[in-house]
Amino acid sequence: MLLLDIKNLTIELKTPDGLIRAVDRVNLSLREGETRGLVGESGSGKSLIAKAIVGVLNKRWLVSADRFNWCGQDLLRLPYDQQRKVIGRDIAMIYQEPSRSLDPTAAILEQLEEAIPDHLLEGPWWKRGYLRRRKAIGLLHKVGVRDHQAVLQSYPYQLSEGVCQKIMIAMAIAKAPKLLIADEPTTALESTTQAQLFRLLASFNQLKGTSVLLISHELESIARYTQSLSVLYCGQLVEAGETASIIKQPYHPYTNALIKSVPEFQPNLQPKTPLYALPGSIPVLQHLPIGCRLGPRCPNARKECVKTPTLDRLQNHYYSCHFPLIGKKDL
Amino acid sequence: MNTLLEVRDLCKTYHKQSGWFSQRSVIALQNISFTLAEGKTLAIVGETGSGKSTLAKLLVGIEKPDSGDILLAGQPVKISHYRQYNHVIRFIFQDAAKSLNPHQKIGQMLDDVLRFSTVLDAQQRKLKIRQTLKQLGLLDEHSEYYPHMFSGGQLQRVALARALILDPKLLILDEALTALDPSLRAQIVNLLLELQQKSGLAYLLITNHLRLVRHIADDLLVLHQGTALDYGNTAHVFSNAEHDYSRKLINSAIA
Ligand SMILES: Nc1ncnc2c1ncn2[C@@H]1O[C@H](COP(=O)(O)OP(=O)(O)OP(=O)(O)O)[C@@H](O)[C@H]1O
Ligand code: SF4
Ligand SMILES: [Mg+2]
Repeated sequence: MLLLDIKNLTIELKTPDGLIRAVDRVNLSLREGETRGLVGESGSGKSLIAKAIVGVLNKRWLVSADRFNWCGQDLLRLPYDQQRKVIGRDIAMIYQEPSRSLDPTAAILEQLEEAIPDHLLEGPWWKRGYLRRRKAIGLLHKVGVRDHQAVLQSYPYQLSEGVCQKIMIAMAIAKAPKLLIADEPTTALESTTQAQLFRLLASFNQLKGTSVLLISHELESIARYTQSLSVLYCGQLVEAGETASIIKQPYHPYTNALIKSVPEFQPNLQPKTPLYALPGSIPVLQHLPIGCRLGPRCPNARKECVKTPTLDRLQNHYYSCHFPLIGKKDL
Repeated sequence: MNTLLEVRDLCKTYHKQSGWFSQRSVIALQNISFTLAEGKTLAIVGETGSGKSTLAKLLVGIEKPDSGDILLAGQPVKISHYRQYNHVIRFIFQDAAKSLNPHQKIGQMLDDVLRFSTVLDAQQRKLKIRQTLKQLGLLDEHSEYYPHMFSGGQLQRVALARALILDPKLLILDEALTALDPSLRAQIVNLLLELQQKSGLAYLLITNHLRLVRHIADDLLVLHQGTALDYGNTAHVFSNAEHDYSRKLINSAIA
């Protein structure tokens, strides 16, 4: 069953000069137990989408969609507090900025215990305190923190980035969410810890059947740990489908550039030789090019590209490009 | 190949107050030695707390080593002479945005750098600023921009412009490439490689990003708890690391 099913998600910012559309008609869906990667150039709208799903964007942003279904129920049509309740119960997010999630003035024990909902503690009320403590320790072990005694008594500033990030994950999984959204969970971490964390997210997904939406710049890790993939460019969805088939044969020139720019995917590349890169940079939202937004940077652009391409599909593989890299004749 | 930077037996210990009467010492660096030739790249990898940042601080001149020497083109570097060699060694840190003054236009900021460290007149400075912006794929108009008007990746270019405008011989990049998206990272890497080929610039790359290290670094030094474990040609260390720790680090990146 589809857990999350969003059609034509649009996110706009109110500014003195009018509305700026930062995310434009993006589709996104997740099955139960699926892990989906979300990649794209910096500023392409990944974090905005994540925040729109958990409903934490402030009032300056307008969120609209033709469909915003969670377990078959359209969230945007629910009254606000109903919406908050469903999201709060089922969806957890690990933020790009660690500072957003941990309270610097409270000890870890307190914060972690607070994140555990009552209904997950099985036992009589007079044992609640004890059970909560056991559960907090269990969560720390689960995320790979062995030394729980010392960590529980610490304040966030006394701990390393890596440990803080693990605690954030522990807090996120404390409520046994159906969907876990991780927005660049590892950028601040060293490579050994990074690998550990990705494995942790993957195992959590396998063990508990939790769906994961993983936003990351580390394409190698996305390739290894996700089943499906959505690629954004400049607020629009340019390609989506199974991760393995996209990595093997991307249809969209932007996805192609993204994959080719990573030395790991280019086994024959000699050290110190130039990496594949598109010229120029992502346009600002106030001055978008006409037609295909990749146009000015695209090596395959032709005159047809001044018309905005639609999202086409070939089996389960979606792309929005007039000249997909397979060549139209194979379609 | 001329040796540009030589570091000999560098040691640094921090004394931390723990409680009112007792002191705890932390050995941050222990007998670190390496050399870096013109036009080459040395990567220093290790976890947080391995001494990477301390090493950067000593090279920048923010802190003094307890013992050991830092030689630049054969001459010992002294902290009191920092301003003198500040042309030759430049730095870029991870958080480019934070190190820029939000109330100053980019052109003004670059002009300040030139006024502080060179004898160029106003006309020459203007020309130099224009050349540098162009070299980094930025436009003349960008001189009139404030930092918040740039995207993250452009800001990283601005930081590079600030570092490169003095034609340094050595650029130290402290995790400056890590948080970039892949296509932007590829652009910056290409730019760095090109500058290195054209002008013989040397790079000291302090990073965790081992996959990138493999592509751009000539030599690799693995730091662990303040000591140097493996040190040598990058390809060699990748395939024949002697220490378990280095192997673990390398495997986590390439496995
Ligand atoms: N408060 C704001 N005011 C104006 N524009 C904003 C604001 N926050 C975000 N934006 C714009 O919205 C767009 C999408 O931003 P978002 O943070 O979602 O990017 P991202 O894909 O997460 O990038 P990164 O990979 O760098 O995290 C960007 O163009 C950004 O400049
Ligand atoms: S539609 Fe045209 S410009 Fe856009 S990605 Fe495809 S080929 Fe390039
Ligand atoms: Mg983001």
